[in-house]
Amino acid sequence: MLVDVRPTKRLRGSSPVDVSAALGPIVEALGQDTVDLSRVRVVCDWIQYKHNFRDVIDIRPITGSASSGMELEAAVDLRRCAGTDLNAATAEALREFHDPDSSDRVYLEQWTAGKDSCIWDFNALYWQALGRWEEVSGQDYEQALPGGSSDGRNQEAARELILELFDTWDELARLSSLPEQLYVVELGVGNGTQAKAWLDEFRELALIRGVDYYQRLHYIMGDYSPHVLKLAQETVAEHAAQVSSIVVDATDPTASLGFLRHKAFLVYVSNVYDNLPTDEVASISGRTYRVEVRAYLPREGSLALAERLSTTPEQVGGVVRKLLRLGPELLAEALPQQLPDVASAVRFWQEAWSWLRLAERYVPLEGLDLYQICPTVTGEVLRPILEDRGDFRMQVSNGAVASFVATLRLLHPYGRLHCHDLFVTDARRYDSQFCGPGKYDGSIVNWVNGALVQCVGNRHGFDVNYVPFRHREGTNITTLTAQVRE
Amino acid sequence: MTVLRAPSPLPLLPTSVVGSYSVPEWLEGVKTDFYHRKISKNYLDDIHGVVTKAALKDQERADIDIVSGGELSRDNDIDYLLVRLPGIEIPDTRKSNSYDYYDAVVREPLPVGSRFPLRLTDDYRFVRDNTDRPVKFSITGPFSLSRKLRNEAYDDPAGLVMALAELLNAEAKRLVAEGATVLQLDEPLLCGYRDQVGTAVEGINTVIDGVDASWALHICYGNRYARPSWEGHYDFLFPKVMDARVDQLVLEFARRGYEDLDLLARSGWDRGVGVGVIDVKTEEVETAETVAHRIRRALRVVPPERMTINPDCGLRHLPGDVARAKLRAMAEGTAIVRDELSTVATPTGDIAIRDESGASREAVQEGAMQS
Repeated sequence: MLVDVRPTKRLRGSSPVDVSAALGPIVEALGQDTVDLSRVRVVCDWIQYKHNFRDVIDIRPITGSASSGMELEAAVDLRRCAGTDLNAATAEALREFHDPDSSDRVYLEQWTAGKDSCIWDFNALYWQALGRWEEVSGQDYEQALPGGSSDGRNQEAARELILELFDTWDELARLSSLPEQLYVVELGVGNGTQAKAWLDEFRELALIRGVDYYQRLHYIMGDYSPHVLKLAQETVAEHAAQVSSIVVDATDPTASLGFLRHKAFLVYVSNVYDNLPTDEVASISGRTYRVEVRAYLPREGSLALAERLSTTPEQVGGVVRKLLRLGPELLAEALPQQLPDVASAVRFWQEAWSWLRLAERYVPLEGLDLYQICPTVTGEVLRPILEDRGDFRMQVSNGAVASFVATLRLLHPYGRLHCHDLFVTDARRYDSQFCGPGKYDGSIVNWVNGALVQCVGNRHGFDVNYVPFRHREGTNITTLTAQVRE
Repeated sequence: MTVLRAPSPLPLLPTSVVGSYSVPEWLEGVKTDFYHRKISKNYLDDIHGVVTKAALKDQERADIDIVSGGELSRDNDIDYLLVRLPGIEIPDTRKSNSYDYYDAVVREPLPVGSRFPLRLTDDYRFVRDNTDRPVKFSITGPFSLSRKLRNEAYDDPAGLVMALAELLNAEAKRLVAEGATVLQLDEPLLCGYRDQVGTAVEGINTVIDGVDASWALHICYGNRYARPSWEGHYDFLFPKVMDARVDQLVLEFARRGYEDLDLLARSGWDRGVGVGVIDVKTEEVETAETVAHRIRRALRVVPPERMTINPDCGLRHLPGDVARAKLRAMAEGTAIVRDELSTVATPTGDIAIRDESGASREAVQEGAMQS
């Protein structure tokens, strides 16, 4: 049996985690089972997200292994071990492993790649129907962020970026190569506060510098959520002559912004990548696996939801799928007896979201080149990170990589991508830290595989640099800058 | 019929390529494996031979009139030559990826003269011996090479350009002695140094001096990682490029539109033009009709006997199936226009080009935008 304790920093300090207290009952339960203990991995994490998709103990099949390979993984959340009957929880998870058909879980989908799971439909629904969610929860989505606000609106950061842009434009103007329209794009515009701060600063600095860049500026605000975009338009109303707004799928920005190919001098992306679909891959005993997931509602959750609907637990899955298809407004119309108004449909949605869990299993990848991270990037790009690393698991950040690659195509030869997000800049960090997924309000958060994004950027001719966000203390946010490599 | 010289007559509007051919992801991986000491130089050379033959076959099947070896044995446009040139120091010959550039430095003036064969003739011979078609052989020009060197030897950067040009001149003569008839100088970095066209042209003329071949000069807006490294117009080339003693300018138009062709007419360029009709920075495959539109647009400015048809730049970054499809479209589109040229004649016997007035012009521009 292999035991992997990942949050090693928590084994020391004033209140260290008592791993042996956690492991004892788990190993005991495993010992009471029939599994081949020599083919078991026990992996201990510390899940920092209060709301997440895991149980305290999850048993994950490792499929396709030779008889000598690993058969299952027991995944433990050390943060929640205290106060849990770990022996019973492990035994219960093992029963599920041995006989999944007799499960009392309500599964919402078949086994699928992480990025294709219906949890992303929940995520998409959150942004599409954000206004309804906020009405019922009574707080706007920024309040739900860990710091209570976005890092995007920092004036000092904006000034620094604008002045660098002016220097580039001055040089191109000297060479008679500055285009008439100066395009700047913001993806994930939020409620527009960053855009407003940026545009205010831009106008003032252009005035001071005595240049006509403000008049030539075309600031394009892009967001997935029409609701958010409308708020942003109102926020930047005084700059209306310089601003356009457009609904953008962040994973495929060229679909709506293709006309900007090689034209954008700055693409600004704030807190978008961590909310895009991702797979996870793992190396276990020298073999590469993709993590497949299956969303479900535990028995307790399906009972609670069934009570809300005055129906049976077996019917709940169908209503959840209908919710994801129709959204809360049409769901209330479709089920007037059970959900008499939109607010009750939203409350059903919020409760379903809170109960949502992910079962996982490992499925072998037959070849990295056969694994498509996104339409233009194959899994071959993972090779330098996975190679020679031993047992390892990480996010692929498929949506972020797709967005990043497509965004690079928009950049003018002298353009740059500037991005604030949660990046794992050194892949070794995956050895010791849980990097998602977690739940923020109604959306998903994952740390972004920055090491992979850097590899991808390099393979597209860009230098990709990371620095901690310099303009606020104590934040986990990292600033990515990508520019064409000389 | 054409400004390019070939052992046998070329058709009107001969089709050619700029140089590089599609590099599959696995080949990039194998090349990089060599730098990580996972495969030997012998294995890599053998692989290069196989893929070069395949590239030739693809071009022949697409019915390209003047083919290239695809430059598949070259890591990139610069290092291929820098590692062969005498007097250039490369302190660290490791690479994390084969496509990366070396950090190369010139600490002393380069030895000049004809004593330093660069062994490009080996590559030329291999290509020549594996095809029956006329071969174009491309060399990166001295100006672009100089911009990728740390110059610690010459007070005047032009001195380095001229020294590189002399070494390339000697090698060009060796290539001709091996039978090369069509040579091309690539200056991919010139667009970024618009005030230095005069220096570049001096270097080009030095390379060409006394070399008995058809010379093409390719200048694009950059194609590293399928991205332009500059945006603007070709106006910076004129009038100085008129002094370059080349037979043909090979330029990028398909991606950017054909307005700059008018620059050639206004400047009195009366030599050959290699017209880019395939956008190599997109995987969207042009139709033969789009290619034909683009050629017709170019024919308003350049007479057919001075025109060669080629992609905007090398096909290196395109997937193999896309590269093959684009070459086929290029050949088919060219065939459409050849057919029109051969069948449509004025009462005086002059060739008349089907010019589809304003609607056609829009179609041409639309094609450029779409691609």
